[in-house]
Formats: sequence, structure tokens, C-alpha cells
Amino acid sequence: MNLRELQVVLVCLASRFGAAAVFPLLQQQLDKSVEFSTPVTSFRSLQEGVFLLRNDFPLYSGGVMHHAPLLVALMSSFNSNTLISLLFTCADSAIAYQLIAMAKCFQNLHLPAWVPGALYVINPLVLLSSVSRSSVVFSNLAISTALLSALQGKAVLSAASIAVAAYLSLYPLLLLVPILTLLPKDRFKTVAITFTTLAGLLLSSYKINDENWNYLFSTYGVIITFSKIIPNLGLWWYFFVELFEMFIPFFKAVFNLFVVSCIIPFSLRFHKQPFYAFILCLCWITLTKSYPTLGEGGFLLSFVPFFRPLFGYFRYSVISTLLFIHVSVLSPVFYHLWVDLGSGNSNFFYAISLVYALGLATVLVDLVWAMLRIEYDKGKPNLNLKLTPI
Amino acid sequence: MALIEKLQRRIIDLGLLPRIVRFLPKLSILCGILGLCWLTLLLPLEGQYRHTYISENALMPSQAYSYFRETEWNILRGYRTQIKALEQKSSKERNEIVASWFQEFGAKTAFYEDELHGNTMYGVLHAPRGDGTEAMVLAAPWHNGDGEYNIGGTALATALSRFFSRWPVWSKNIIVVFSDDPEASLRSWVHAYHTSLDLTGGSIESAVVLDYPGSNDFFKYVEIYYAGLNGELPNLDLVNVAVHITEHEGMRVSLNGVSEEEMNERDYFAKMKTMMVGVKKMALSGVQSCYGNEAFSGWRIQAIVLRARGNDGPFDITTFGRIPEATFRSVNNLLEKFHQSFFFYLLLAPRYFVSIASYLPAAVAFSISFILAALNCVLKSGSSNAPVLSVQSLSAIIYFTIALLLSFALSILFSHWQYSSLLVFCNAAIACAPLIFGRKGTEASHSHQFKAVAFLYLSVVLTSLLVINFALAFGIGVLAFPLILVKAPTNSRQLVKNTILLLLSNPFISTLLFVNAFEPQLSGFILLPRLVQAWQKLGCWTWSVICIGWLPSWLLVACSSIPVLYQPTGGFGQRLGPSTKKTQ
Repeated sequence: MNLRELQVVLVCLASRFGAAAVFPLLQQQLDKSVEFSTPVTSFRSLQEGVFLLRNDFPLYSGGVMHHAPLLVALMSSFNSNTLISLLFTCADSAIAYQLIAMAKCFQNLHLPAWVPGALYVINPLVLLSSVSRSSVVFSNLAISTALLSALQGKAVLSAASIAVAAYLSLYPLLLLVPILTLLPKDRFKTVAITFTTLAGLLLSSYKINDENWNYLFSTYGVIITFSKIIPNLGLWWYFFVELFEMFIPFFKAVFNLFVVSCIIPFSLRFHKQPFYAFILCLCWITLTKSYPTLGEGGFLLSFVPFFRPLFGYFRYSVISTLLFIHVSVLSPVFYHLWVDLGSGNSNFFYAISLVYALGLATVLVDLVWAMLRIEYDKGKPNLNLKLTPI
Repeated sequence: MALIEKLQRRIIDLGLLPRIVRFLPKLSILCGILGLCWLTLLLPLEGQYRHTYISENALMPSQAYSYFRETEWNILRGYRTQIKALEQKSSKERNEIVASWFQEFGAKTAFYEDELHGNTMYGVLHAPRGDGTEAMVLAAPWHNGDGEYNIGGTALATALSRFFSRWPVWSKNIIVVFSDDPEASLRSWVHAYHTSLDLTGGSIESAVVLDYPGSNDFFKYVEIYYAGLNGELPNLDLVNVAVHITEHEGMRVSLNGVSEEEMNERDYFAKMKTMMVGVKKMALSGVQSCYGNEAFSGWRIQAIVLRARGNDGPFDITTFGRIPEATFRSVNNLLEKFHQSFFFYLLLAPRYFVSIASYLPAAVAFSISFILAALNCVLKSGSSNAPVLSVQSLSAIIYFTIALLLSFALSILFSHWQYSSLLVFCNAAIACAPLIFGRKGTEASHSHQFKAVAFLYLSVVLTSLLVINFALAFGIGVLAFPLILVKAPTNSRQLVKNTILLLLSNPFISTLLFVNAFEPQLSGFILLPRLVQAWQKLGCWTWSVICIGWLPSWLLVACSSIPVLYQPTGGFGQRLGPSTKKTQ
């Protein structure tokens, strides 16, 4: 770790911790905003869980807790506000460090290794998400640990991290498939360790939760069945507000299939570029999952600099940049019009979440196109050759 | 995606792309002009606007007979004589006397004491037929927006309350408010109602403010004001109901203070004028004198002001009283909230409106125009491939952050020390700086980056304002538009031209020029302190939007035409010099 990389990590620590210390009210404001907090990730409900745990109330019978039991237990061991702030800050800084370490795994990046980390640090979406103390930070950390250790060939750590990520927010379990393409030699071992770890985590949660399995529905069932209908940046909540009751189970099934659908195809088609396949899968999950936040979008965008050699092929970079800028400005405005002023309605906000999805989709399409093009050009970018008119 | 792909191919087939890129500057100017023409010229044309209609069937305006007539005439006059005698007393004494009248006919009364904004009395008539969770407000400030003693309005509010209290039809509570003035004191009461008051009557659905200064029996016509703070408008149904009832009673309606001679004209130009006056009123609401509906903005309350105008005329004061009576009966009929999607409109005449889909393109055009200008700058600076990673754009972003922080500091500092002329002078000095420091020759790619960031930011600000405050978005779009025309100085004529353009698009200078030309109420430098006052007293954001949304872009464009500042030879100190000076 050279001086510049140390600087990046230190700036990350200072900015997160400083923002939380200088603007103490910012955390609550962000935690109330639908862009950065959902019922399954918000710090408010985590705090409520800690309160319930400390007073020996059953955690999951009230229907307001959607965090994993071990996470609540971990948070309840932190007493002071500063310590909690430090925990989130450190988790975020660890991600920044891991991004730098990942950059070192690639020979032909054409970028100094500290750049992806630095971009992660200055990314406002990630910064705000971290300040809001959304538990997304932890699942992001687990995902990036899994990716880094897979790149370094450490199958055990990678498998365990995927299990932790899956334990925290379910969907990252799907990332096991691209991880397998990253670790072609220890496939069986990876799968075995992942499921053993996951089983261990679930069992210990069962023990912690007074030998009750009801946490399974509150944490994972809610994610799969979309049963907490609260506006968020995702694509699906609006359907459950508008649809007739009898169609709802069908659409629940379809939306869940949709999340799973592209994981295996991406991993198969791009098994020669496993890191890339992993990012595509991550993008797909971010796009189609049930309770997305801007924190996850920002985390995903931090991986785009790794595809520097493909930048020349990107066709929608201006469009996607503009889309992301406008989404982050307009979504609070439209939510305010709908919920506070009452002059707008839910269509306003849903329209913006569609625009956000479009932004993610343009990134996805651009990435796929660029990789297919560079395959066609046999690995040597030939920007002058025009396959399509543009 | 497929659609975009197809569109893209078609554009390439026709060879449009290089041409579009070449014409980008002209295109952006064209967009701006289109936006301006769309609103001013196109919308008042026959076929572009629609007849107003009542969207909520339950309202049924003027379907019931109005009973506020001769029987109430003497009671009203009695109250009026009494209130006229109270003119010299303090508002607290007046309120106590009026409260005793309210208690006589069985209303609950309470006082709200605000140290800054005086004493406010309000009475609650509980609904005989409802569950008391909803309320309608009748407000009569002791002094109206022009500072006149509101004898007719307060007497009418008292007489109407007495009249309402004897009626068993109400399903919503009626709250009658007597505040000192229709601005800060009424607003502080509304705020207190939603936070701290003990005597409340449920969520307020609608509010009608009565404004009838003087003790004359007769008046000529009725004025209706509806534009709330921060671009909020009451539901069009409420305005329609008021207009419908007023015209049903035979009176003529003028919107937003259109003068008596002009309100009878029905031609194209009259519609254009009424609409533009409405847009101006929306943009300047809270800054111009407020008549009372502004006080209710932000709490989902539909509020309008009814003003009686003229000392002589065919209509007597009970006729005026029948407007709130019938309006209250209409609102009383409501079973649900006011209808959705009837909150965004511009009125061209009391009975004609355009809805959001028709008028929004005007402001969108300005937003697009700034985006195109930004795109043009990005393409010209030649680093379009990786805009995030280039060092130049990073420096532009850093400068932009500095400009943003400076503007923010200025907005705070100016609200403490209001030296308008110094502020304007310093801004003019910055605008003139290119004349002294500017170098002729080709434009550096730095300056393009600066402008790209500035235009992009302005465009994002306009887009975010589009729906929330259309008039402000449109106004900033029009007034900041000359920024687009600032070009690289190739000769000294261009230098002078740049300076003039910068002067014209400066947030403070251009708004001052605008109000001095079009708003006689706000002549001279009075606008700037009034903007700050509106922010502090009423919570109107216009000042912050102008400072934080517009000024940074202007500063950046001004910087882009002074190469000394951002090129390596030590410009940073000079860059800070004029900006810190103007914050005094």
C-alpha cells in the first residue's frame, strides 16, 4: 500500500466520519428518504431491533424488523453513537481499500490502482448511503470481499463472504454463479463452503432468536414476496399498489424469476471474462431486486472504471450520466410533491424510478455491447471500425 | 433500447449527427426562443387552452340557494360600525372584543400570541354533522396586504360566522381567524395550528381569505388571488368554484389584480396578458405584497383570496358574503380530498385554463437549451470520451464547488447585512472583469469545461424546478438565457458583447431590471431585501434558488471569459478577490 492509496483510504475515513460528525441531523434525514433507506436496510429499524433485543422482546413477531438476527446482535454490542458511526465508516473504507486491491489484480488497466478507490470515495451516492448508516454497506462489503478474494484465488474466504452477503440480503447468493467462473478449480469446494457457512449462520440465528424460525420470513420472505409495500426506487412496488389482488401471486413469481433469469446466461456467455460476468450479474441484481437503494447503484458504478479499455466503445455514457444526475435531483422533488404537498401523485415518483432503471439499463447495455465489440476485435480496441452506424 | 437504436440508425442514415453537432449552438438558442414563444404566443391561441370545468362532482357550486341576504344586512352593519370604532385599538383589544361576540353565539375561541407577529384570535364552529376531523378556514386579517384597515372583511367574517352557527348543514368544522396582517402573522398562526395550538378543528381542507377594506356598502367587482408560495397552487376546483359562484351572483371576476378596464377584454392579447400576470405573480409570490392565501402554502390547504374592489357599484356587501357562503357549502359537500392532477394549471381568463402538459414544454425547452449548450461545450473541449476522469473537467468541478460555496455564503451573509447596491455593484464589477483581464484569441478548452459544468448545473436546477415551481423555472430560464451567448472573445467587440451579456444574465441585475420594468410595486433595489424577508418570514425559497441555483453558474461563466483566473500563472487569489468583496 503506497502513500497515495493510504491517502485515499484516509480521505474515505475522514469524509464519512466528518460528514456524520459535522451534520448530525443528516443521518436521520437520509434515513427517512426513500432513495437511501428501505424497510430491509434502514438504520431506524435496525435501532428498533436493538431496542427490542436489549429489552428481551421477541424481534420478529411485531412485523417491523427485517434485518438479519446476527446483524442486530452485532449492532446491540455497540453502545455509543460514535462507535456505530466508526463501524459504518470503517466498513465503507474497507470497500474503498478492496477496490484498490482489486485494481492491482489487473495488469492492463491503464489506470493507477488508486483511481477506482478514489472514485468510490468521492461518489456522492455511496457517501450519502454510508452517512445514512444503511445496512447496505455491510452487504456491499461482503460482496467486494468475495470478489477480491476470488480474484486472488482464495476460494474459502470468497465462498464464506458470499454466504455472509446472502445471509444479509439474500440476492447476493446468486453471485455464487459468477464466483464459480472466477474460481474454476475449486468449484465444488466453493459451493460446499458457501452452503455450509450459510447453514451455520442460519442455525446460529435460529439459536439467537429463541429457537424460532420466524426470522426467515421477516428477513428473506419479505424480500421474495414484496410484502412490505413502501415506495422505493425499484421497479415492482407500484404493481402491487395497482394490481388486482388475484394477479399478485403470478407477478410475484414473474418478478422473482426475472431476477434469477439473467445470472446463468451472463456467467456462461462471459465465462472467459469472469470478473466482468460478476459485475454484469451485480448490475442485473441491482436493476431488478425488490428493495434497491441508491447506495447499491453507487457501489455498482464504482466498478465501471475497471473497464477502462472498453470506454471507447461506450455509446450512451453521456445519456447515462445525465440520467443519474437527474434521478438523484428529481426523485426527492417528486417524492416531496407526492407525499408532502399532495399536488403530485405516485406516478410522479414511479416515473423517476423508471428513469433510474433506465440509467442502470443503459450502463448494462453499454457494458455488454463494449465487451462483445472487443471480443469481435480480438482484444485489441479498434475504434475506427464501425459495425453499426455509430 | 431498441427504439433508441432504431432512432440512432435513422439519424446516421440521414447523416444528421455531424450536422446536429455543428448546429448545436444555434439549436440551443432556437430551443430557448421556442420556449419563450410557446408560452407567450402559442398558448393564448384558440384551441390551445380549455374551458374550465368542475372536476369533482360533489362540489356542486351554487346548486343550493344562498341565504346570506337582507336578514343579515343589519347584523352585518352593526358589526361593521363596532369594528370601525375599534380601528385605533391594538389588535389584542380588538380580538378580545370580537371573541366575546363569538362566544355569544356559541363558538369556541382561543388566542395565539406571537412575539414577533402580534396577537391572533380564532374561533371554531364545531360541525353538527361531521366527525370533526376536517375543517374549512375563513380568514379575515385586520389589515389587508396594502395595509388598509379591513373593516368590511372582518365584519363580514363575524356576521358569516354568526350566520353559519345557526345552520345544521355543516359536516366540516369552520375556523374563523382574525390575524394582524395576511402575511407573517397569519402564516405563523397556520404554522402554530399544525404544531402547538390546543384548540384545533382537524385538518384544514380549504381556506378563504376575505379582503374588503373600507366601510362602503357597495363595490364594483371581485378580485381573486390564488398563487401560493414556492409555486404551489390551490386545486383548480376551488378557484373554479369561486369564479362560478361570483359570476352566478352577477359580479365580474378579475384574476391576480388585472385592472378593471382590461378585465372585460376577451381577445388574444388580454388572455396573454392575464396568463403572464399569473406567471409573474407565481414567480414573485411572497415577494410582492401578500393578500393571505400565501400563508396557507405547504400544508395541503387549498387557499384563495376574495377581494372586493371599487367604492361604488351595483353590488352590496351581503352579495360579497354570499361568495364565501356558497364556497363553504360546496367544500362542505366534499367526501374525499380535492381531485388529483388538478393542481398544475395556468389561467388565461377566469373561465379558461391550460394544464401542465400544455405549458410545461415552455420551461422544458429552456432546460434542454442549457443541456445542449453544455453538450456543445463538452464536444468542443475535445474530451468527450471520459468526461469524469480528465484533469480539466476535475478542475472545473473544483471551481464549481468553490463557486457554489461562495454563493451559499453570500446568500447567508446578505440576509444579515443587506447592502443591495454594494451587491449589485460587485456583480457588475465581476461582469466587467473580462473587459480588463480578458484576452483575445482562441478559447481554451478550460473555458469550455467551465461553461459545460455551469450550463449542466443550470439545466439540472431548471429541471428540478419544472414541476415544483414552473414560474420560477421559466423566469430563471428566460433571464439566464443570455449566458448561452457568451462566446470566446475574438475581437474587442465580442469582449464588450460578453460583458453586456453577463450583465444581462446576472441573477441580481437581471431580476432587478425585470421587476423595475414590469412590477411597479417593487421599484428600485427593494426586490433584494424583500426576497430575503420572504425567506425569513414566510419560508419562500426564491432567494435561495436564485443564490444557490443560478449564481454559481453565472460566476463560472464569468470566470470562463477571464483566462487569467484559471491558467497556471497564479490566478487563484484574484479569483477569490472580487467574490469575497461582494459578500460584505
